[in-house]
Amino acid sequence: MADSDKPRYSPSLMRMWRVYRTAKEMCMDRGYNILEEDTTITLEEFAGKFAREDGEPDRQRMPFSCEPSDEMLRKYSAPPTAKDPNPQPQIGQLWVEFNADENVGLKQLRDYMQHLSNHNFYSGIMVCIKPMTGMALRLLRGASGLDEGPKGGVEVFVEQDLLVNITKHELVPKHVLLSREEKAQLLERYRLKETQLPRIQVTDPVAKYLGLRRGQVVKIIRKSETAGRYASYRWAI
Amino acid sequence: MPPKSILKHSVVSTNAPPPSKPVSQRHLDVALQHANVLEQRKQVEKEVLQSIITLLDFPSSPDADPARPSASDALRFQDYMVPFQPSDYDSLIEERNISDRCGYALCPRPKRRAPSTAKKQIIETSNGVEIVDRKLLEVWCSDDCARRALYVKVQLNEEPAWMRQGGYGDKIELMVENPEEHHKALPLRLKREAPKKPVKQEEHDIADAWAARDDALADLAMERGEKPGRLSKANKDLITEKIKERVGTPQAPTPPTRTEGESHMAIEGHVPQSRDRPQQQNDEEDEDDAQDWDKHLPT
Repeated sequence: MADSDKPRYSPSLMRMWRVYRTAKEMCMDRGYNILEEDTTITLEEFAGKFAREDGEPDRQRMPFSCEPSDEMLRKYSAPPTAKDPNPQPQIGQLWVEFNADENVGLKQLRDYMQHLSNHNFYSGIMVCIKPMTGMALRLLRGASGLDEGPKGGVEVFVEQDLLVNITKHELVPKHVLLSREEKAQLLERYRLKETQLPRIQVTDPVAKYLGLRRGQVVKIIRKSETAGRYASYRWAI
Repeated sequence: MPPKSILKHSVVSTNAPPPSKPVSQRHLDVALQHANVLEQRKQVEKEVLQSIITLLDFPSSPDADPARPSASDALRFQDYMVPFQPSDYDSLIEERNISDRCGYALCPRPKRRAPSTAKKQIIETSNGVEIVDRKLLEVWCSDDCARRALYVKVQLNEEPAWMRQGGYGDKIELMVENPEEHHKALPLRLKREAPKKPVKQEEHDIADAWAARDDALADLAMERGEKPGRLSKANKDLITEKIKERVGTPQAPTPPTRTEGESHMAIEGHVPQSRDRPQQQNDEEDEDDAQDWDKHLPT
């Protein structure tokens, strides 16, 4: 039979393979430097790299870091002014970790934040098996103003959210993040204040995928029967 | 004489910023009051989070006994518990379990292990054999700890700390076997006597009067459940002591009174016509009333 020739993989390994690929694609879509073959890694390669002897995925070996590309650095830096001719980009090295614990609470989150600040990562993404506890989420919400933790904040995803790449669904239009300069041009072109733009929540699934921050503007390009393409802009709140 | 401009003379420059004064002082006060309430809520939430982080590593010594906790630990635990709601307490237990400790914050032992890793467990209880979730079994280190922890939980106030009125400073009692130690360790709260200065009798009286007023206000605030230094719930500026009617009514309307002798017949002010005393204007019609029914019939 054809089935018996192929090596069999455990369901959890297959799940983890998809999560890993989506995480890599997500980083690439955000503009980090990611190798093309990482996002198209096959199940065999993945199993060879990250499977333990018992066929389960080894999450301890999976974390990776990535550097923002030049284009991304440009996008995230404020336009130069007379006072500050060489502004520092608001982005830096990212650390993505896959947590192996069944339940993630305050302890794991604080350990993770500690790790990020010890190794000078700008921001972090934590992928956990189950949703975090309420108190951990509360810490995460308040962490942006806190001293502990990295500058760029920590994002948390549940593995289930990353099983499929939602931006590849046909009903999800293309979202493009605008740089500060492009945003200023847009507002000037249409003579708007940013508060007059339509809005998108930062908790929106696509906004979470792109890691939008408050105040950024995305351009949404939809297909249109009459005009071919139709662009709209949304202000992240 | 120079020609006089026909344009309106104005001293206000057109590009001056709009007056930033709020429409009324009262609006500003109301907005500030609500902002302060929100701020206070955030403060309490942060306080609870910090307490939980501290209580994760409780008790301070690894060989502490939950039945006889050290006085300092017990005191700190009681203090931390004051702003907690039962749901916050559940979160504390959950967090402690995740870091593999007994749910009771004064117990240093790890949580109990279920006999197997199955999702549902069969256990013997006093009402016979029961099937329970494995999670429920792995919360406490022993039944004794469970009792002590739940003893604290039932005393917690359901109302969130930022909305509590009065009784805010409720003391949480612990189930301990060495109560006498804890009573000794409690700080004695004595009213501090202000150092007296020799002053003139008149000044003294005035100062006394003001001090008495301040004391009374402070007592009232305590009764409302406020803490010194906290935001006052009753904002003096927002309470209007005089209530004014919006439209002035010159005089209150008086109920109509009938001066004639018919008032005993009136039904809600209307006097029905009676057979015996037909009214003047109806007299003519009343006469042929008897034949009224066949008036329009064809003859």
